[in-house]
Amino acid sequence: MKTRYLRYSLMSILLAGVVYLALGFGTRRFEDFCPFGGMESLWGLWRQGEFSCTLGPLNLALLIGILVLALVAKKAFCGWACPIGFLSELGMRLTGLVWHKRPAVPAHTDRWLRLLRYAVFALALYFTYKTGELILRGYDPFFLIFSGFGHGSIGLVSWIVLIATVIGVLLVPMFFCRYLCPLGATFDPFSRLGFIKVVRNDNHCTQCGACQLACPQDLAPFKMNKIRHRDCTNCLECVDACPEKDVLQLKATL
Amino acid sequence: MNIPRILLPLLVVAALFSGYLLRAAFTQPTTTVSMGSAGGKTVECIVDGLKCKGTAAFFTKLYTGVPGIATIETFATEHKAVFSYDPQVITTDRIKSIMEAPLPMRDGSSRQVFTCRTIQD
Ligand code: SF4
Ligand code: SF4
Repeated sequence: MKTRYLRYSLMSILLAGVVYLALGFGTRRFEDFCPFGGMESLWGLWRQGEFSCTLGPLNLALLIGILVLALVAKKAFCGWACPIGFLSELGMRLTGLVWHKRPAVPAHTDRWLRLLRYAVFALALYFTYKTGELILRGYDPFFLIFSGFGHGSIGLVSWIVLIATVIGVLLVPMFFCRYLCPLGATFDPFSRLGFIKVVRNDNHCTQCGACQLACPQDLAPFKMNKIRHRDCTNCLECVDACPEKDVLQLKATL
Repeated sequence: MNIPRILLPLLVVAALFSGYLLRAAFTQPTTTVSMGSAGGKTVECIVDGLKCKGTAAFFTKLYTGVPGIATIETFATEHKAVFSYDPQVITTDRIKSIMEAPLPMRDGSSRQVFTCRTIQD
């Protein structure tokens, strides 16, 4: 079975869970499950020994859970669970149906743009810690979409940010994840250490490039022996796309 | 060492599930109030409307002077209240009806602020 079906099944279940909570069913708010809330709560916990605003223990506990996961399986959370990653990927596939040869972001620009998420990460935490408010809500597609522009959204600015993000997602595969996601930035140092990763057998690789074409993150597995790249989500799209038998394999290795 | 791909979703689910269980380690009460009566039994309620420090303080005040309530702990992030009470003096139905009673608003109207979603001994 293609790994994608397995991935999409799990992601659909999790997305359905978020929608269920966002619609007001269940005993929790969907925001309780945002791991980045764990990062946002750290300052309040350190300074006052309590969670600020509407953040809670679940945010922090989930953050810890998926940081441990990143140490084991890189950004598997992004590739196998994140609802925004899932929606971005669906957007990518949808535009791929009508736009077969989309222009790639030049490698140099792409490298710089990938650093943007650290700026988002730093600004989000700085303003959250400074004001004690969840400033990111006004710019966060996860919050804006699932809360229906709830408390914390900032009117026109939120609309502009969301529309710009959606356009970005449709033009550039995984635009939000690659360039803007502060949770992705949180994982980066952990993800590099993750020991379950895709490994390439150089002897049988024909350098056809099918793996890079399949990679939602636009990585180039054929240029690496072990995919250590911090942005690899272990989605295994490259493994499924590779026409050569057992050239790309999922392995436990340092 | 080769890894079967099914391990990835299993690890993801395990990480999310462990996170969910781990939350208990970080859970602190938002308010803890002792009402002076003798306890005996405890009851746990999930309460809609109990969502922050302000609503937790307001919620606790509803039980001021109510006989039979020993302590109330609220957990705003869990939307939960835990009552220790004397079953000889007060019933869980009464505890529920107090929180769900319509409350007077500033504009003269009255509105139900809290809804008890679940109640468990
Ligand atoms: S798809 Fe497989 S054979 Fe082709 S370049 Fe990538 S790893 Fe090599
Ligand atoms: S390198 Fe392979 S496993 Fe990693 S993100 Fe790209 S397609 Fe997915």
